[in-house]
Parts: sequence; C-alpha cells; structure tokens
Amino acid sequence: MNAPQNVAAVAAALRETGAEARAGGTDLMARRREGIAGGPVTDLAGLVELRGVEWRADGSARIGALTTVAEVAADARLRAAYPALALTAAALATPQIRAVGTVGGNLLQRNRCAYFRSPLFDCHQSGGDTCPARAGDHANGTVVDLGSACVAPHPSSLAVALLAYAAEAEVAGQAKGTAGGGPRRPVADLYDGADSSRDHVLAPGELLTAVGLPAPAEGETAAYRRATSRSRAEWPLVEAVARVVWREGAVVDAAVAVGAVARTPLRLPEVEEALIGATGPEAAAGAVEGVVGRCAPLPRNGYKAALLRDTVRDVLERALAADQGI
Amino acid sequence: MTLNGAAAEASPGSDTTAAELVRDELGLTGTKVACGAGVCGACTLLVDGTPTASCLLPATALAGRTVTTVEGLAGPDGLHPVQRAFAAHDGMQCGYCTPGFVVEAAAFVDRHRAEHGDTRPSRAEIADALAGHLCRCGAYEGIYAAVAAACAGEHDTESPLPPPRAEAEEKVTGRARYTTDVRPEGCWEAVLVRSTRAHARVAAVDAGGAVHVDLLGADRTVRYVGQPLLAVAAPTPAEARAAAERVAVDYRDLPAALDPAAAHHAGAPVVYPTREAQNAAPSNNEGPPLPGRWRGNLRGPSGFGWRGGTAVRRVKDAAKRGDRRLVAEVFRTGPQVHTALEPHACVARWDEHGDLHLHTSTQAVVGVAEAAAKRWGLPRERVHVTAEHVGGGFGAKGGLRVEVVAAAELARAAGAPVRLVFDRAEELTDAGHRPGARVELGLLADAKGDLAALTMDAYNDGGMSTGGMVATLGLLMYGNAPRRLRDFDVLTNRPPGAPFRGPGGAQFHWALEQGVDMMAERLGEDPLALRRRWDGNRKRRALYDWAAALPVWAERTRGAGTGRFRRGVGVAAANWIYLTDPATVVDLVVEDGAVVARSAVQDIGTGSRSVITDVVRTELGLPADRVRVGVGRSGWSYAPGSNGSRTTASIGPAARDAARALREEVRRRAPGAVSGSGALDPEALKSLEGTQAGGRRRRDRGGYLTPVALPGMGAPGRGLTGAVHVMEVEVDTLLGQVRPLRCWAGISAGRMYNDRLARNQCEGGVVQGIGYALYEQRRDDPVTGAVLTTNLEDYRIPGIGDTPEITVHFHEEGWEHVVGGGVGIGEVSTIGVAAAVGNAVHDATGWRPREVPIRPDRLLEGIGLK
Ligand SMILES: Cc1cc2nc3c(=O)[nH]c(=O)nc-3n(C[C@H](O)[C@H](O)[C@H](O)COP(=O)(O)OP(=O)(O)OC[C@H]3O[C@@H](n4cnc5c(N)ncnc54)[C@H](O)[C@@H]3O)c2cc1C
Ligand code: SF4
Ligand code: FES
Ligand code: FES
Repeated sequence: MNAPQNVAAVAAALRETGAEARAGGTDLMARRREGIAGGPVTDLAGLVELRGVEWRADGSARIGALTTVAEVAADARLRAAYPALALTAAALATPQIRAVGTVGGNLLQRNRCAYFRSPLFDCHQSGGDTCPARAGDHANGTVVDLGSACVAPHPSSLAVALLAYAAEAEVAGQAKGTAGGGPRRPVADLYDGADSSRDHVLAPGELLTAVGLPAPAEGETAAYRRATSRSRAEWPLVEAVARVVWREGAVVDAAVAVGAVARTPLRLPEVEEALIGATGPEAAAGAVEGVVGRCAPLPRNGYKAALLRDTVRDVLERALAADQGI
Repeated sequence: MTLNGAAAEASPGSDTTAAELVRDELGLTGTKVACGAGVCGACTLLVDGTPTASCLLPATALAGRTVTTVEGLAGPDGLHPVQRAFAAHDGMQCGYCTPGFVVEAAAFVDRHRAEHGDTRPSRAEIADALAGHLCRCGAYEGIYAAVAAACAGEHDTESPLPPPRAEAEEKVTGRARYTTDVRPEGCWEAVLVRSTRAHARVAAVDAGGAVHVDLLGADRTVRYVGQPLLAVAAPTPAEARAAAERVAVDYRDLPAALDPAAAHHAGAPVVYPTREAQNAAPSNNEGPPLPGRWRGNLRGPSGFGWRGGTAVRRVKDAAKRGDRRLVAEVFRTGPQVHTALEPHACVARWDEHGDLHLHTSTQAVVGVAEAAAKRWGLPRERVHVTAEHVGGGFGAKGGLRVEVVAAAELARAAGAPVRLVFDRAEELTDAGHRPGARVELGLLADAKGDLAALTMDAYNDGGMSTGGMVATLGLLMYGNAPRRLRDFDVLTNRPPGAPFRGPGGAQFHWALEQGVDMMAERLGEDPLALRRRWDGNRKRRALYDWAAALPVWAERTRGAGTGRFRRGVGVAAANWIYLTDPATVVDLVVEDGAVVARSAVQDIGTGSRSVITDVVRTELGLPADRVRVGVGRSGWSYAPGSNGSRTTASIGPAARDAARALREEVRRRAPGAVSGSGALDPEALKSLEGTQAGGRRRRDRGGYLTPVALPGMGAPGRGLTGAVHVMEVEVDTLLGQVRPLRCWAGISAGRMYNDRLARNQCEGGVVQGIGYALYEQRRDDPVTGAVLTTNLEDYRIPGIGDTPEITVHFHEEGWEHVVGGGVGIGEVSTIGVAAAVGNAVHDATGWRPREVPIRPDRLLEGIGLK
C-alpha cells in the first residue's frame, strides 16, 4: 500500500474521494463486514506523526490520534498525570482491541445500536428517517434526552474520560467556510447530542490529529467504573469517570463524566459542585441525589436512571477513597 | 512480512482481513474465525509479539511486521510450554477456541515470566489477560490451570505422560482440521438467502441467473425472519455474496404472531393454518414430538403423570384454604442459543461415480449419512460423511440440516465441490436454540412435609417449532407422589428451536428446584435435607450427604445479608436419563505395529476419541504410541450420534469388547504375545499385521426405567443419573451484578472412563449453566421479529472471568448393572446449575429470581430499586 504520508495530503485525498479513514480498523472493518459501511477506504497508518504522546512545556500532554488505547493505558507518565484517562483506557474492550484501536478511532467510532448494525433495518443513522429502536428494543438506549430522535448512546469510553479533563481536539483538513468547530475545540464539541444522523460532527475529509490535555492537576485521585452483567469485556450499561483534586484533605475541584446514557458523553456539573469540600467517600451518596432527576427514560429502560446514579456513586466513592494523602 | 519465522509475501485487497489472508490465501487454518467481530479471540495472531484479533485487522496492516500464528508457536525444542500445559491440563474440549487461547496465553506467559520469574499468577491476572477470548465448551478451569502451570515453569520440557485427551497435540498446534478448514481445489462458495419477513407467502423468487437451489416448502411460505429460502453458489465468496444480493424475492406479507405471551389469544395470526402445515412444523426435540391437539397457535397439552386428577384436586383445595405448604409459582426462561464456536458448515462433493462426499460439522455422522442416502436415493455406503474434528454442537448439529442439503444440491448443480459456512449472525438466528418457557408450578407438601402433589404446565416458546418437553420431565424427580405434567407449544413467527444439552431440562429445573427451595423455606427445613427426604434414590442420597458435609454448606449464614456485597449459597438437584445404543461397534486392526481403532463416532469435544483410546490402551496394556484411533467417518463402524448422553456409554463398552476379542485373536495366533495379565507385547505387534477384531455394545442387565418409555427418546436405561450443584455467589446490590465465586458439582453417573475429560465436561456444564442463569438472552425485535442479538457482544456467553472455582465430585457406585459401569454426564452436569444460582441469589438477597437471565436490571428491580 502506498498510503499518503502527510496529514494535509491525506485530508485532501479523503475530501476528494469521499473515502472513510481507517486507523486501527476495529470499528470500520466490522461495519464493512456487516455491510453497513461501503465506499472507498484510506489508511491512516502511514501518518507516523500522529502516533505517540508529546509532552509540552507546561507539563501537559498532547496525544496523537493514532496512539493506541493500550499505549494510553500503559504509559507510566500518562498514568501519573491523567489517572482517569489511563484507567478508562485500561478498562475498555479487550486486550486485543486495545492493542489496535486508536484514540482517534475510539472517539469517532459509530454507535453499537443493534438496529443500526443490522442490514435488515434502516434508521436515522443509516440514511433513513425512523428509529426502530424507539418502538422496539431500547433496553440499552439513552436515558438522558439531548433532543435527538436517535436513542443510541455514544459508545466512546475515552470521550468520557477526556471530557472529565476538558481536553481539546485538534482537527485538520477543514474545508474553507465550513460551519462547526475550528481546528481546536473542546472534545465535547466533536459531538452534537441533538443530531440523529451521525455520532460525531467531523465532515468527511476532516482528520482528528490529536487530543491536548490541560496541565495535570496536583493531588488528583481518580476512578473509572462501568456497570455490566459479566465481569469483563462487556459494553457498559452505564460508565462513569471521576477525578477529584485535593488540598489539605478536602476536595477543591472535581470532574465527573458519564457515558452510555446519552447521545454524547456528559459532564455532571451538579455532582461536581456538591463534591467541593468533601473529605471522604461518605460525600458520594449525597452528591448523586439529583442525578435521577436529569433522566427521562424511554418506556423500557427505566432501570438506567437509578443505575446511572449508583454507578456515579460507586465511582465517586472509589475516587474519594483513593489515597487522599497527596 | 515475516510469517512464522520466514519471509512471506502477499498483496491483499483493502477489505481483506488478516484472518482471511493467513487462512484462505496462506493456508494456515489453525487460526479460526468464530465471531468476526473482535469478541471471541479465536482468530488471535501475534503481530510483533502482541496478540491481535485478526478478524478485524486489515491484512495490509501486516506489511513489514513479524507475524506468528499458532502453527509457528513451537520452537526448535518442540512445543511452546503453554501448548504443553494446555494439553496436560486439558484446557480444551472441542478445540475450536484453543489456537486463539494458546497464542494469547503464550504471549502472557512469556511476559509474566520475564517480569515476575517462574511464579503463578492469580486467577484475576489470568482472566484479565484472556478477557478477549470465549470458550463455549467452558473449558476455563483447565485453561486457568494450564496458564498458571506454564508461568510457574512446569512445562518447559516434554511430559513423559500422554495428555488426557488423545488429540490434544493436534488441537494446541492448530493442526486439527475442522469442516470450516476444508476447501478442496476448485471449491465454490455458497450463501443462503434468508427471509426478511416474519410471515409471508413467496409469490416469486428471481435468482438472477445464479446457480441456486430453492429451499422453500410446498406452501411457499416463510415463517420467520432469517428462514432460508434459496441458496446460491459461485466460484468465490465475494461472487457468491454478490449473487445473493441480486436475488429478488416477491413477498406477499401475512400478519405475524411475534409475542409468545399473546400468540394464543383469539384473533392472533396463525402460524400453521392447515393440518399439512402443522405436520410439517420442525421439531425442537429429539425424536418425534409428543402428540398434541392444535388450537390456533397453541398445541397440546401432552399430558403425563400419575393420579393427575388427585394432584390437581389437592393443589386446588390447598390454594382455596390458603395452605402455606403450597408453592404456586410462575417461572420464565427465554431462548438460549447453542453458540458452538465452529459454525454450522458443510463441504459437499459428488464424485465421478455419483457418490456423495460430505465434510460437515455434525454430531451425528451416521445419522447424516443415513438421511442423505435416503434423500438422494443412494445406498448408504455411497454417502461418505467426514467430521474429523467438530467445534462444538450442544444439540444443534444433529440430522440433515439446511447447510448439508444446500451444499449437496449446489454441488450437483455447479459440478464442483461447494462449501457453505454460517456466519455468526446466521448462527445466532437460525442454528437452533433452547426454547423459552413459561412454567406454572404447583408443589404441595402434606402435614408431614412429604410431597403430596406436583402440577406443572409448561408453555414452550420454540418459535415456529414444536416439541417442547419440559413439564414431562417431572416424571424423573421426587418419587411417585401424584402429579399432572402438561406441555404446550406456543407457536410464533420466530426461528425454530433445537435440542440443547438436556432438552427441556434447564427450563424444568429452573422452575422445580427453586420451587423446592421455597418449600424448604416454608417448612423451615434445610433445602438439602428436604431433597434427601423427597428423593428416595440411594445414589442421589449419597450426593446430598456429600453436599451437606461441604464446609460452604455447613457453615453458611442463614438469611439474607446486609451491605452492598452479599454472599449466598444455593443448591439444586437434577436427574437425567441415559440411553445406550446396542448397535454400536468398534473395530480394531493391527497396522504398522500399532493397534488401530476405527469408529464412525464424531468427537464434538466430549472426548469419544479419548474414551476409545483409553479403553484399548488399558485393556491391552499398550503404551500410548501403540494405539491409534480414527473417528468421524461414516464408512467406519456404526456409532450413535452425540446426544442423549449415550455416546460414551455405547462406545466405551464396545471398545472394551473389541480389545478383548483382539486379545483372544492374538492369543490364537501368537500365544507368546499375551502376558499373564492380558497385556499385549508391543514388539510382537509387528508380526501380527492385519489381525482384526470387532466389539459390540452388549445389553445392560434389567429393563426400562420409567413405567412408560419416554416418547421420542427411545428406551432409556435403568437408573437415572443425578447431580447436586452447590453454588456460592456474591451479589453487588448497588450495580446489580451477580458474581459466581465457587461451585461444587456432585455427579452420579457411574464410573468415569477418563477422569480429567469427565471433569472438564462437568466444569463446562457449570459454565454453561451460569451463562443461562445470568447472561444469555436472545433478543428479538418486537415489531418485525428479527433477532437483534446477532453477534457475540450482544449475545453474551460466559468468559473466563465469570468462571467460579469449580470442584467436581463423582459418586461412582450404583451402576454395576451397566456394561462398562459408566453412563453419560453431558446433560445432567448442566441442567440444574441455573437453579443453584437462583437459589444462591435468593439466599444472598432474600429476593427470588423468577426469570433467566438474572440481568442487572431485573436484579435491581427485584431487590427494590429506590
Ligand atoms: C469487543 C469489543 C468491545 C469494545 N468495548 C469498548 C468499550 O467498552 N468502550 C469503547 O470506547 N470502545 C469499545 N470498543 C470499540 C473500540 O474501542 C473501537 O473500535 C476502537 O477504539 C476504534 O479505534 P480504531 O482505530 O480501530 O478505529 P477505526 O475502526 O479505524 O475507525 C473508527 C471510525 O473513526 C474514524 N477515524 C479514525 N481515526 C480517525 C482520525 N484520526 N480522524 C478522522 N476520523 C478517524 C474512521 O473513519 C471510522 O469511521 C469495543 C470494541 C470491541 C470489538
Ligand atoms: S437508536 Fe439511533 S442507531 Fe438505533 S435505530 Fe434508532 S436511530 Fe438508529
Ligand atoms: S473471530 Fe476474531 S475475535 Fe472472534
Ligand atoms: S474448547 Fe473452547 S469452544 Fe470448544
């Protein structure tokens, strides 16, 4: 394969051919086999510049889009600086998928709704104008309504963690005069919760090149949790990330983000505020009280509201119990 | 790239996966593809030393990399230690998942030893490392043991002992050939075109000029989404898929019955409107279905029992007076899919003499040959069925199925061999399933606490198939108190079921054994003590006594726990019948200085090859390298299908009989070659070339088991096999997860032919029962009837991390009347497990689960979602 070798050229080629980019391919190859993705493919593998972690002068990290999930999980410096991110990376999918799947592919993967993935159905996400999951099986559907007709939760676990760090996405190859986010934007702005037709807002030809994190916080403890039926290797019913920053035995800053409950990953500011001043895990139960009120369950996924609250409670208890000595 | 140490070149297309490249283009078929979705790990390769799922990896990503497949794991000094360890600890059954496990485990073991020296990793570390693998046979206990031992450096040299499983080395090296690995020269590929409608008359089908075979029945009606209506073939897989795309079907939609809870209501669309259509309905059971009257979509009841009127009257009266000793409950189960990792597959070829050659993944080699001979009007010996290795069956691979019919018809039409392999979505939709059931249970105790009446009505949900037999199994349990047992089929426009490891048994025990626990609670009696009292059988009483003495039982805390994580212990008993097939024959012949056994019997992972090998070796006192066993060819001597717990009990005695006959023959020819103990002199075999003998399966002493022979099951042997499972779980009451911690499986089925293999099968039975209890649920779209759980992410089978520590106990006495002293364990070792989980969850939380799987949402709702 003579894959083009620089970002500008690849972006231009993508725009010209309308090809879909392929990073690790763990999502794209599955969709092509299922017959729900077609058309040309352009490999990103040749873009060595998008691999690996760069440490910037302020001590912050910039993670190339082609860095694998396993590299994020195993990188000692990332683990120390951004524990919530590394914990999340280590907990998602399976070792084989983490070894190949990339940060960019994880953030931009398509949703796992069984109707979307089945060749037997058309829906908003595949060019149609209905949502068969609404009338059908949506036991794992969204429980927080962001105004979309589609009820498939966003699949990306890394997005949840990056949201908790208020990370920034770097995007190349934008066509002139396009609306939407600029070349640098919050990771949250990769998504539009009201949009029923796609799982991220990048236009064909736009490339995610890196995610930039803010300088690490001193005295951070963190946790990642997901609710599943089996012990491992299962997509979450609900997932949650918590980071808390301590000064002198009390929480001075907190970030809590959740996934698998809405069309995008979500921050829970009301929970974060309630944590300020907390001194230990006892604070968790009170902090999550309002979470259920945010939820607007579908007819057959009502369990998710309380499960969301309790998963958040669990992740908070762990983050608050994790070595507060620092 | 560098492939297994040598340079290799290829120029794959952009959509070609690494798995396709190594298997189809480079012929390294050790790597398997079971899910195609990155979930099961069967396709794992080492890419620059890192385990990678090759089914999702673009082949182009291998450029310039160092790639190791299972075939390349062995080094100059022989097998990788992990391969030896898997063989020694029997970390496998059917072996289809084994190459993937072995490749991943090799990387883990090497890394672990480099970082921690020769130490044993914890179970959790092993589970983390192998989280991306699934083994449907549930051979996880052996895998844990193998990986830990390899890490500890226990398998750095070759073992002097042969492995417990005869074909272990073939399986750990990827040499074992399955039907999916067979691709003869000039082979065409076939694809099934399946209905996209739940119920429709097919007015016309346009095959678009493709080589095809029509698969629709006489009434030209499709009755579920996914029903095969046509098969096409073309020289390559891509062309075949394209041809299938071009097929145009003109459907005339009919109203469909999709909800089993409403299908029998007046006005519901009727699945089988005519007598002919009813008679053509497929069966989800072994043998012909029980007789039953049809009323719309309700078929039945098929009534059984004794003093049924008395039982019903007693239960009614007890209900009227509000008797606490009446347990009247409704339990539910949903469809459970077999999910063998090797999909249904067949490669068919007609030779120049008009003989039919079938390679197929079947659990009934002879059955397929007989049925094929009948269908195509050939003498049986002109149909040649081969199933050398079979990647799991669990009941779904019996008889002449659509993949065989379609492949053989297409091979004739194409004038070329034709290969048809189900993909995972087809497998999870249309390969059969254990039907769901709604079971209405009535269990009444009298003043003394004895069983006074048992009533059970089971409404079986086998989609558009009939044959549910759940309540009928009440014939087998708890003595002879009055009972009325009625089975109904509720027909819907959903895929047909198939026999599944103890057909009806898992549904039946889920209900009955929880009911018995509820009774024990009402009577204030220990659940084991109650079962022991109700069950008069001596062999099973020994199991109850064994269980009662287990520390986990004796020391358990009574009553529901408090706090977030709560532990509980549950028990369940189970009985099953055993069958034998007196027509079974094993033939032995001396060839190249070794005794060679040949039998048509298939080995689906249950160890039939090993049973014959062990019996012949032991009986003739021969070293491992002097006994060879060939199985899985219809031309070899007759053996039954692998179902009904009858294979081992049939071939074991036949093999012994043959060995004895061979010894006599040798004694006649060369008296000096037989020692005083009856052993053959291995050196003398060379001069005995061609000596032959055959052995038969002789009849057991005694007659039938039940007052009536069970319809459709043949004449069961005398004596029921028994199991008592004790399960310990931990329930996370915050997030709704149930974690099985430890399980004890007590089994009474006589003497075990091969101890390690028998334990392995019982361990797998526990794992499958846990899957049934906690995770497995086929989901169907309520609007269209399409199956939604078409991949292994959504259809959840247990992984290695979900496996409790399992202890298997065999109570071997009491089977002296059986020739060979031992009978089958396949079914009895799994059917009671889910109820043991249910009882343990109740013990932990005080909440009684009534429906499987005990999903987090159900558990949280049950224990009181705030
Ligand atoms: C069994 C299993 C379990 C899983 N569990 C989880 C889980 O728990 N949590 C989770 O988050 N994920 C999970 N995943 C998904 C997995 O993490 C993703 O498939 C993977 O991260 C995608 O990365 P990739 O590089 O392979 O993406 P690809 O398949 O290469 O690409 C995915 C999409 O992103 C686009 N894309 C990729 N890179 C770029 C880029 N730089 N710029 C623009 N577009 C780009 C592609 O065009 C494509 O549309 C699971 C997957 C499997 C198979
Ligand atoms: S939830 Fe979204 S992806 Fe699923 S069917 Fe509805 S629109 Fe399609
Ligand atoms: S076949 Fe690749 S992971 Fe299952
Ligand atoms: S041995 Fe693992 S799937 Fe059969």
